[in-house]
Amino acid sequence: MIPFQAEDAIHMTVILATLTPLVAFLLIMLGTRARKNLSAGLSLGAIAISFGCSLLLLARLWNVREPLEYSTRWVALNRMEIPFGFLLDPVSLLMLSIVTLICLLVQVYSLGYMAGDPGFSRYYAFMSLFAWAMTSLVLSSSLLQLFIFWELVGLSSYLLIGFWYEKFSATQAGKKAFVMTRAGDVSFLLGLILVLVHVGNPAILEMNSLDSAGLMPSGILTFAALLIFGGIVGKSAQFPLMTWLPDAMEGPTPVSALLHSATMVAAGVYLFARLFPFFALSPTAMGIFLFIGTVSMILASTMAMVARDIKQVWAYSTISQLGFMIMGLAAGGYFAGVFHLTTHAGFKALLFLCSGVFIHTWHTNDIFELGKGGARRLKIPVIALVVAAGALAGLPPFSGFFSKEAILAALALSSHPVWLAAGLLGVFLTAYYAFRVLCILLFPPSAGEEPSGPVGGLAPAPKGSRQEGSSRTFIWPLIILAFLTLLLGFFQGPLQHFLLGEGKALLVDHGEQAGWLPFTALFLSLAGVGLAWAEFGRCGAARLSFVERIPFLRELFSRRWYLDHFYHFFVDRIVDRGFSKLFAQNDNRVIDGSIEAVSRGTLEAGRFLAFLQSGMIQYRLLVSFAVMVLLSLYFFYRDSGGF
Amino acid sequence: MKWMLFGPETYIFLVAFFFLILSMWRGPHSEKDHVLALALSGLGVVISLACLGAEGLLFAGAYRLDLFSQVFKVALSFGLFLIVCLCANVEEIKRRYRLEFYFFLFVCTLAMMLLVSAQHLLTILLALELSSYSLYILVTLRRDEDMGLEAGIKYFLTGIFASSIMIFGMALLYGATGAVYLQDLAQVLPEVMGTPAAVIGLLLTFGGFFFKLAVYPFHFWVADTYQGAPDQVTAYIATASKVAVIAVVIKLIAAVDQNSTYLIHVLAVLSIASMTLGNLAAMVQKDMKRLLAYSTIAHSGYVLIGILSGGTAGYASAVFYALALLVMKFTVFLVVVVLSPRGKNLEREELAGLHGRSPLLALALMVSIFSLAGIPPTIGFMGKFYVFMGAMDKGLFVLVLIAMINVVVSLYYYLLIIKAAYLGHSWETPPAVHLPQPMRWLTGALIATMMVAGFYPTPLIRLSEAVARSLM
Repeated sequence: MIPFQAEDAIHMTVILATLTPLVAFLLIMLGTRARKNLSAGLSLGAIAISFGCSLLLLARLWNVREPLEYSTRWVALNRMEIPFGFLLDPVSLLMLSIVTLICLLVQVYSLGYMAGDPGFSRYYAFMSLFAWAMTSLVLSSSLLQLFIFWELVGLSSYLLIGFWYEKFSATQAGKKAFVMTRAGDVSFLLGLILVLVHVGNPAILEMNSLDSAGLMPSGILTFAALLIFGGIVGKSAQFPLMTWLPDAMEGPTPVSALLHSATMVAAGVYLFARLFPFFALSPTAMGIFLFIGTVSMILASTMAMVARDIKQVWAYSTISQLGFMIMGLAAGGYFAGVFHLTTHAGFKALLFLCSGVFIHTWHTNDIFELGKGGARRLKIPVIALVVAAGALAGLPPFSGFFSKEAILAALALSSHPVWLAAGLLGVFLTAYYAFRVLCILLFPPSAGEEPSGPVGGLAPAPKGSRQEGSSRTFIWPLIILAFLTLLLGFFQGPLQHFLLGEGKALLVDHGEQAGWLPFTALFLSLAGVGLAWAEFGRCGAARLSFVERIPFLRELFSRRWYLDHFYHFFVDRIVDRGFSKLFAQNDNRVIDGSIEAVSRGTLEAGRFLAFLQSGMIQYRLLVSFAVMVLLSLYFFYRDSGGF
Repeated sequence: MKWMLFGPETYIFLVAFFFLILSMWRGPHSEKDHVLALALSGLGVVISLACLGAEGLLFAGAYRLDLFSQVFKVALSFGLFLIVCLCANVEEIKRRYRLEFYFFLFVCTLAMMLLVSAQHLLTILLALELSSYSLYILVTLRRDEDMGLEAGIKYFLTGIFASSIMIFGMALLYGATGAVYLQDLAQVLPEVMGTPAAVIGLLLTFGGFFFKLAVYPFHFWVADTYQGAPDQVTAYIATASKVAVIAVVIKLIAAVDQNSTYLIHVLAVLSIASMTLGNLAAMVQKDMKRLLAYSTIAHSGYVLIGILSGGTAGYASAVFYALALLVMKFTVFLVVVVLSPRGKNLEREELAGLHGRSPLLALALMVSIFSLAGIPPTIGFMGKFYVFMGAMDKGLFVLVLIAMINVVVSLYYYLLIIKAAYLGHSWETPPAVHLPQPMRWLTGALIATMMVAGFYPTPLIRLSEAVARSLM
């Protein structure tokens, strides 16, 4: 552990990278809210500095093998000391670069997208808050610190989703997202405390070392791992806490791109990667993670196959891809999971940003309407969309192909072939739903008859000067991300070297599977694409998917496997109407109600007496007395029980 | 000079006496009285701070001064000062009662200061009764007499019932041990801990404090009293009075802590019942003060977890939580008091559009509510974390699990408040809230305190640990 050294250049860079967005947030909130351009400029400048710093760090530390930790004592609680600081290792540096890059691009994109919104400055303030929380989360050196920023990230996402509070449902969505992720976070905190009590130090490096296996009995270790994984489930919207993410899509599209695809929800998977050695100590827990990842992946893919809202399709797709990463990690493919996290951040942000252009132009989220409206006439967004969908479907030479292969290779090594089969099924489904959207958008039914001009009364928004002016801010982030998606796959080798160090090449140790696996996967992807084209793309296609022909499946998928119904039932019936009403009834109706009923019927002078004689206060006191008597009786019972 | 040790109490007593004389001397003069009370209570904080280092025994050992009592005296006088800050225009109390209002407020604070130092069972009883009786009267001072009277009567009846149980318990305890001083009790108790008289006496004695702390099954008064009392009095009951009671419960438990599993079980049951009942009942409340009343019951449950975990760590966490509660509860009440419509209670829905009316108040409400809900990085999160850590250290996993589930449940109604303040639309737009400049500074300082202590709680943790250690 290196103590704080102010002159240390790397250290200064780290502080600069994390703190500049916070400074921007405070400045905007305190001073510049009235001046839109200045606020946006501050926020953009801060995130650009962060991005520059993260690149610098990446370059400086590319060849450093040992993780660097800068920490100082933060809280001394009971007998344990909780450090506060930064932990720089390959995975955190990689994630830092991804986060700051996507933040930067999304903020540039938002310049056009949010222009004219009354809350423009506030939007940028929250964006900066998010950037600060997220970069700090990524670099946290202890689990408690990570947890605090984890919550701050959730809070800023709550603020950003609820940002458009003119829409009522947006606020409901915000609440749902907040409560659902909180449920996961409580589990995380419980696990964290459990680890803290046993290991005595929440420093990530210490948890990851093999000592923690010695300090914790294996049962407790598995339990703690599962509890911490609960936080991942909540944040990354995995089964069974998955339904908040599609609902959170009500917020502005750039927010969806940033939070709900590339960075915030990926924080869950990042945590998994961060604590990978710790989780790996418990094979039982890893098996459960693999199961949850698989279930989430398949469920979300099926939901994506029937959704009509373009953002919802990508939201389901995000859940399913995150599940895919968790499968990879849980199967032991550390590099595969992190690599897919990296590529996914790029192409999923691209998908959202492209969709944002369509939504911004036609003011609808429905893919059929967008297709009819003539989405294919926007050349650059369409090309970018094709690139991103190709990557999502796992087609070469896009980045998604390489990372998916890596995960499948890891799955092939896992204990049971069922996981690999599920993974391959996922590849097929993913390719299908990605190209379903693409085909609907690009080959609308009326395309043959009316190749130009608005159709169906859905005229594109008039090309006013504002839109022309903002198109540059729309286009550049798309182009950059598209190039990234195109090129990132070829950096698999160097990245693997960076993450795993020397001599741990992943593809070497399973030569035989590597032979047939890529071809099978590619074949399945192409089959998915082909099916989508046959159903939605080709001339005279029925435009009805095979799922929709089966009413049962359509209902099941479009109602999210009835998960929401279950939550609704649970929360509404049992908690809201059941317990609370019961207590409130006891409180209001039985006691207050009768007091009021009695006392209202009497004269004001008699009120006091009526109140006393109504007997209700005696009833309450009787309860108090009975409880005390029971508690006293417990003493004798316990005593005779032989304590 | 031993009397110097008694400084804060003497001072508060003199101020109370001064207000009594003043109320006979001349009629009330709102503004002047408020400035006067503000200055006098501010001086009280200074005097308590000056006496922070006092140590010793007074009145034949019935009264003990140590770091524990002195820190709580500072907290109490600070709480009084904060409440007086809110009393700029106490519209709910008739003008002619205003001076008496200050009199009772100061007397109640005096009683609580006596309570945290009292070592003799009778001193404890007297101090507790003095504070209770001042509160009974304060509650009934409301302009809307029916509301205040009903609240007061309910409070009074439950209160005397709890007192009688407590006195019975004390008698049993005395009969079993022959001791009336806490330090003697601590020595004698281990021998007789197996006898029913001692244990049941102890349990019943706690009844009186559970009443003040609003722990199940003595919580019945809370909702009605909070609802019926004037806002400032409710704020006082919820903040300063709670801090004092938490202190005295910690002190009592620490004195009799014999690692009795029976006692831990009882406390655990009461804690779980309080949390669950408070949180579930709070969900359906529409009146803000009623909602906060149930939330108070839930928070008493969390505090009990810290207390029953025992040891320096457990007591320190309870002390930390008490101090955190003082700040966050007060901030919520500040918003409630400022926004309350004349003569009525504030409804949750009436918070709608607060963000537009006063961004500062909306921010204060959000931070304090998040703090109450235990969301980092706020002081409330640190408090809960500290308490849960202590309990987990003792292996009380199930208790912590239930508490955590309760935390999630409580989010539901806390979020409804935030939603109303930030996202709600009101039918007619009420005018912007005008906050005087000093109140703005106070609000800002409270927000900063909650956030800074959330990020850097070490000094407060040190303080709590030192306080807890002075008990052992």
